[in-house]
Amino acid sequence: MIPILGLAAGVLLGLFFDPTVPLWLQPYLPIAVVAALDAVFGGFRARLDGIFDAKVFVISFVSNVVVAALIVFLGDQLGVGAQLSTAVVVVLGIRIFGNAAAIRRHVFRA
Amino acid sequence: MTALSRGGAPRSLGASLLDAVLAETLDPAYAQAAQARATGRVAERPRWRGRLLVALTMLIAGLLVSVTYDQAAAGAEGREKVREALIDDIDRESSASDDLGAQLQDLNARVTAARDEVLTHSAVGQQALDALARAEQGSGAVKVTGPGLLITVANADPTADADPVGGAAEEDPRGRVRDGDLQQVVNALWAAGAEAISINGQRLGPLTAIRFAGEAVLVDFKPVTNPYEISAIGDPDTLATRFVLNPDVQDLGFISKSFGLRFDYARRDELTLPAASTPELRIALPEAPAGAPATDPTPGG
Repeated sequence: MIPILGLAAGVLLGLFFDPTVPLWLQPYLPIAVVAALDAVFGGFRARLDGIFDAKVFVISFVSNVVVAALIVFLGDQLGVGAQLSTAVVVVLGIRIFGNAAAIRRHVFRA
Repeated sequence: MTALSRGGAPRSLGASLLDAVLAETLDPAYAQAAQARATGRVAERPRWRGRLLVALTMLIAGLLVSVTYDQAAAGAEGREKVREALIDDIDRESSASDDLGAQLQDLNARVTAARDEVLTHSAVGQQALDALARAEQGSGAVKVTGPGLLITVANADPTADADPVGGAAEEDPRGRVRDGDLQQVVNALWAAGAEAISINGQRLGPLTAIRFAGEAVLVDFKPVTNPYEISAIGDPDTLATRFVLNPDVQDLGFISKSFGLRFDYARRDELTLPAASTPELRIALPEAPAGAPATDPTPGG
């Protein structure tokens, strides 16, 4: 319950205060969101599996976001930014799908 | 509990990278931490700290999502706003230009009326007026009405066997009407004895150019679009006969047949051609004061 409240509070804070993001950071926001989504789904699934661990969750979240942004940044510097973001999105997308399927099995027993 | 069993057993060495991506959707660190906890190798941390950390992380996740959404929405909105502002600008400037055009026409009409009134009083003036009328006819400065020929030239239709799936069908550039085609038609019409010509309502004056700029044909620097309707005033029968016998026109007819361009002509009993753009006033001399020797009135240039 508390994590969901935290998520809702974050969304509301972002919508109401409308913080300005520095221009150099803006291209990496979408990929960071996908990475964060992956960590959140992973954490939710772990919780349903009964093996959730706060430390693992926080570390996986931070490293996911940072590494995803870093890969895209590196790709931009090397001139393959679009391709690398596609790669990141594909890998994270597959993981999100897999975790969502596991969550679905837990919730609906199907 | 699939993750537990998978995390516990060592993965086969042959597992490919893709396999790992597809199978290992849950971070193995969760299983390892659970195992460590079960064996009691790590000290239990206070529960509230973990909860706070998780809540904080989720807060950051929410913030990230909403900020990114805001950015994307603001970007789309900004583009839309800029587009609307530009359209407004274009509308405003075109209406201003139309206003100025109307003003110019009005003032020109007043000048003409005043000039005519002064000139009609004397025989010399009357002569000058006749000469002026002839000159205006020739230079396309006045609107004209009369019988004539209406020629239609149009781009080839996109071919029926074009790929319907791949988005916009690639248009064959040979099927497009070019400035040169229109120039040929116009030249042939002048040669056939046309008295006045307009393309899509743009009257051709003595200084009007027909040019190509990018994808558009410009007549007198104003764009005209497909299909091109060329109206020519003159005796329809002689005009038509001489026009079709012109070798350039015959070439054009052959070309348009082989590339699918539309090229046909029709006699019309009444065509109305607007005036060409107002000629610029290029030279004006102050009236010579009485007694002084008259300056040479021939315009230089």
